Amino acid sequence: MSPKVIQFRLGMGACLAALFLAFVAIPMWVSSPSNVSNIVLSPTFWPYILTVLTGLIGLGLVFASRHSDTQIAIEDGNQLDDLSWFRLAALAVIMIVTMFALPRVGMVWATMVVFVLTAFLLRTRHPITALVCAVTIPLVLYAFFAHVAGVAIPQGNFVRLP
Amino acid sequence: MSFTDSLMAGLSLVATFEAFFALFAGICIGVVGGAIPGLSATMAVALTLPFTFSLQPITGILLLLGVYKGGIFGGSIPAILIKTPGTPASSATILDGHPMAERGEAGRALGMALWASCTADLVSNLALILFAGWLASFALSFGPPEFFALILFSLTIIAGVSGDSLLRGALSAIVGLLLATVGLDLVYGTNRFTFGDPNMMGGLNFIAVLIGLFAIPEVIAMAWNPTAHLGKARTLGQSKVTFADYRRSFKSIIRGSLIGVFLGSIPGIGAAPSAFLSYSEARRKSPNKENFGKGEIEGVAASEAGNNGVAGATLIPLLALGVPGDVITAIIIGAFMVHGLQPGPMMFLLNADIIYGLFIGLIVSSVFLFLVGSVAIRGFRFVADVPKRILMPAVLVLCIYGVFAVNNNIFDVGVMFAMGWVGYLMLRYQVPAAPFLIAFILGPLLEDNFRQSMLMSGSDPMILLRGPITWFFWALTSITIFAIVRNISRKAAI
Repeated sequence: MSPKVIQFRLGMGACLAALFLAFVAIPMWVSSPSNVSNIVLSPTFWPYILTVLTGLIGLGLVFASRHSDTQIAIEDGNQLDDLSWFRLAALAVIMIVTMFALPRVGMVWATMVVFVLTAFLLRTRHPITALVCAVTIPLVLYAFFAHVAGVAIPQGNFVRLP
Repeated sequence: MSFTDSLMAGLSLVATFEAFFALFAGICIGVVGGAIPGLSATMAVALTLPFTFSLQPITGILLLLGVYKGGIFGGSIPAILIKTPGTPASSATILDGHPMAERGEAGRALGMALWASCTADLVSNLALILFAGWLASFALSFGPPEFFALILFSLTIIAGVSGDSLLRGALSAIVGLLLATVGLDLVYGTNRFTFGDPNMMGGLNFIAVLIGLFAIPEVIAMAWNPTAHLGKARTLGQSKVTFADYRRSFKSIIRGSLIGVFLGSIPGIGAAPSAFLSYSEARRKSPNKENFGKGEIEGVAASEAGNNGVAGATLIPLLALGVPGDVITAIIIGAFMVHGLQPGPMMFLLNADIIYGLFIGLIVSSVFLFLVGSVAIRGFRFVADVPKRILMPAVLVLCIYGVFAVNNNIFDVGVMFAMGWVGYLMLRYQVPAAPFLIAFILGPLLEDNFRQSMLMSGSDPMILLRGPITWFFWALTSITIFAIVRNISRKAAI
């Protein structure tokens, strides 16, 4: 992506976000009592100020994009291979499933699986080390947080640790 | 409490095995974290934060300060050896450090980096001890209008951490300010963007947001391109730094330390500009200026003195005013909050023992840094060779445990994941994350002080200009904005 494209997309995104905030999000999801004596004390005052600033910055970015370079592609180390998007999607799925698995399976077992899946998703060249770490790291963290820090780590419905 | 009483109270807090061990362990973690490219001192501090919850406040904060100081030095190791700065602050060290490594003098460059770092660290800590108390006593006379003006000025930090584009930095800050509005309104107690979910009523958890923003995007970026990090490390070589090298570079080290102290005490400037300014001053004054950029040891000394000189000084605004000097101190504020401490002028009255304990710990940290750094230089291969594709899954698991431990709440883990994707999008679109975090911290303070001022004055805005202190901060804000605008116009003209 060139700086021009980045600035333009960000600017348009900010302008749309400002419109969404002003006409949908703040009226629907920010409650304000009817007896507010002065507008500056209203709970909606600050979000509206920020909305206006978002819109202004969005316009600034769109304007700045007109003067940005179209030729230079920004180096971001993002060389695509065929599986890049697949890996991103898989990581998103891992995160979503983790949220459901943590209270049901238990944090230790869930994070062991997360470790293995992530390591293989990242194409590790050390599969044995990954498996050893996948078992030991969650156990060590469990021992610290549960027995030293006194945190009630979720144990799940199946296998409970001491 | 007199100075001696405070000092003794601080000593009684810090003179324990746990406190010194935490400081030592923190420096070890920091050096390793800083030495692994892609992990960075910021991420190391963020990942260590959850481990401080179960510790005594002084022990936990010393652990984090150790990570901070170790991380800043640790960043110089990969900068010199593989031309990849472990932290942005080490970017200037590459200029002369890597050419020295190419000549087979990596050991000498790393040794000078360590000596310069420790000297600058000591100077910076002394500056903190001398100035923080004085500034705090001055800040005791602040009311809501003064704090509003101060925080507004502090938000100009964003210009310093925005990188190439101020507009993108400002956008990042606005998103941070918007997310800070989530939760119950402090005056009327009504919901703001909570969607009826009780988990959202207390606002988004600070630790979840910051870990999500700084650690998770690295894991996601690695999923996008798992081989981007592959590089080649160099050997140390036989040469070592000598006392003659140190003596020859001493002026540059002291100059760099003072530059670091000055820039570090101004919120938002950070270590990287300080390192570059120190480097350029050393080059300007040096009789060997033609060797700079080709492997001049004085260049390494100046860069490292510049970035380490900032480390203690960034704590001056943090401790005295409650305003973070940079991103790492913004994270360290989290540790204060978790332990029920509010950095700022009142802390010098209510928790003077902790303040003086921290001062003592910081002085000791310079000695520990020297010891740990000396060993780290020899053991760099083991640090640099940690397979990144094992490290990142470990980081992910550590983040899950750490964020859950804050409130025993799985919802926070979800917030962290969501913020991770936000952080990754920001990374892809070159939007800096630091302004987001700083605005997320300062946003509620800005709004609260503004509304308190309005309540005090019956909504008369003139209260925001009520005395010399507010005038002073408004003037500073105006001057900073003028300088930013002038800088932008100059860049546009070029």
